[in-house]
Amino acid sequence: MAERLRTEEMIMNMGPQHPATHGVCRLILTIDGEVINDCVPVIGYLHRAIEKICENRTYAQCIPLLDRFEYVTSMSCNWAFALAAEKLTDLEIPERAEYLRVIMAELNRIASHLLCIGVTAMDLGALTPFLYTFREREFILDLFEMTCGQRLTYNYIWVGGVSKDIPPEFIPKCREFLDIIDEKCDDYEKILTKNPIWLVRNKGIGIIPEKMVHDYAISGPSARASGVNFDIRKHDSYGVYDRFDFDVPVFFGCDCYDRYRARMAEMRQSARIIRQALDQMSDGPVRAKVTMNFKPKPGEVYSRIENSRGEMGIYLVSDGTKKPFRMRARGGSYNHLMAIPEITRGLKIADLVALFASLDIILPEIDR
Amino acid sequence: MTKEELTEYIKDNFSGEPEVIENDQPEPYFIVKAEDVVAFSRFIHDDPKLQMTFMMSLSGVDTGERYEIVYNICSYRLKHRVFFKTILNHEKPEVDTVLDIWPAANWYEREVWELFGITIRNHPNLTRFLLPEDWDEGFPMCKGWVGKDVIPFPERK
Repeated sequence: MAERLRTEEMIMNMGPQHPATHGVCRLILTIDGEVINDCVPVIGYLHRAIEKICENRTYAQCIPLLDRFEYVTSMSCNWAFALAAEKLTDLEIPERAEYLRVIMAELNRIASHLLCIGVTAMDLGALTPFLYTFREREFILDLFEMTCGQRLTYNYIWVGGVSKDIPPEFIPKCREFLDIIDEKCDDYEKILTKNPIWLVRNKGIGIIPEKMVHDYAISGPSARASGVNFDIRKHDSYGVYDRFDFDVPVFFGCDCYDRYRARMAEMRQSARIIRQALDQMSDGPVRAKVTMNFKPKPGEVYSRIENSRGEMGIYLVSDGTKKPFRMRARGGSYNHLMAIPEITRGLKIADLVALFASLDIILPEIDR
Repeated sequence: MTKEELTEYIKDNFSGEPEVIENDQPEPYFIVKAEDVVAFSRFIHDDPKLQMTFMMSLSGVDTGERYEIVYNICSYRLKHRVFFKTILNHEKPEVDTVLDIWPAANWYEREVWELFGITIRNHPNLTRFLLPEDWDEGFPMCKGWVGKDVIPFPERK
């Protein structure tokens, strides 16, 4: 009976304005009933030409542009650019600034993972975890507001240090947050980890085998959920990450469920790093002596850091003037979206939503 | 392997003659001839002692006199990385695709084609994707490009 049913392929647009695409992304799906046979991502709706604009700005003016590159973890984006410029400038970064950078980047990582887990749950139909994760994210954003006055685009990590020191009430407030975050993570796990609906929607969905991780250069928690033990903080250390004791959680399920578990485990490790950083930090200056229109030496550098969605790399060419000759930013989501046509073949449309959310794709990073 | 060992190993075992550039960065730096790019990529990808399977980034650069394509490759298993570039002239910028070696190069190469006008030979899908489909103002990432409605940014004193 079933083989006599004649089915026909249909082309369907998902997006550009679709809530599950986390930005403005259009997916052209070729479907046969519910099953996806082909998927073509169409990007460029948010193209702001950040790379070109940077060529006409001084290095200090580039930092706020990098905030817009990926607004969920702007601290890391600032840091990636500052790191690249510092490698060309031979600056001595004050130790307190290095610790502040670690604290801010890790807090930002927790905030980003909270957003990812909350939004994944919401995309799959559960609204409650979203409200809980945003309650804790709010706490972190308050800490950032206290530090630099901004809640989303911080312009905090500058070339040569950070823009200003933290206020005295920051540390007690931050410790208060660290005291509750482990408990809150347990709460999320109680809601989600063994939830039957969550398991059905996530387990065995969107398999990314290890070979595909290598081929498509998938990085960050998504790679570590496919059994790749690689974390730039550990294996190509930058800043003062080599002074902290932390684990790299690796999972072998390769599916959406393990990507969720990798993020969950990473949040606990980030809290662990912040605790150590707060203990080790001493007083001192937070910015090296560097003028606004400084000129790095000519040369080129590729620097990379571990962002919450994968590797964030900056390729910077300097010709010895006060403006970058060429700046290229690479974000993890770019490669993740590139791999989506291959992963989705044979999946159902509803699973594509779960996959998209679990890879934590964010569009401004792709369009730049 | 350290930077020096890596440089030596690649120089000794690759049949072409990549030019080594000394600098103070943590990774080895090579300049590879445009016709050798695919062979070099295949070598560093497949060699069991290198296993450079992870393409971090591929970027085009226009220096004004010439084009450069920069490849940043790293190994997930062995945790080392390499930096190589190829130099193309302005008259006929053409290079072969490395898509078969690193599928991740797909969109990077499309971007280089779209924003710099460098022809990527054998690439299956060179179509516009970042710029609008009816774009006719040339290649915006090239040096000296001025768009129709670009307002210059005021100089900082």
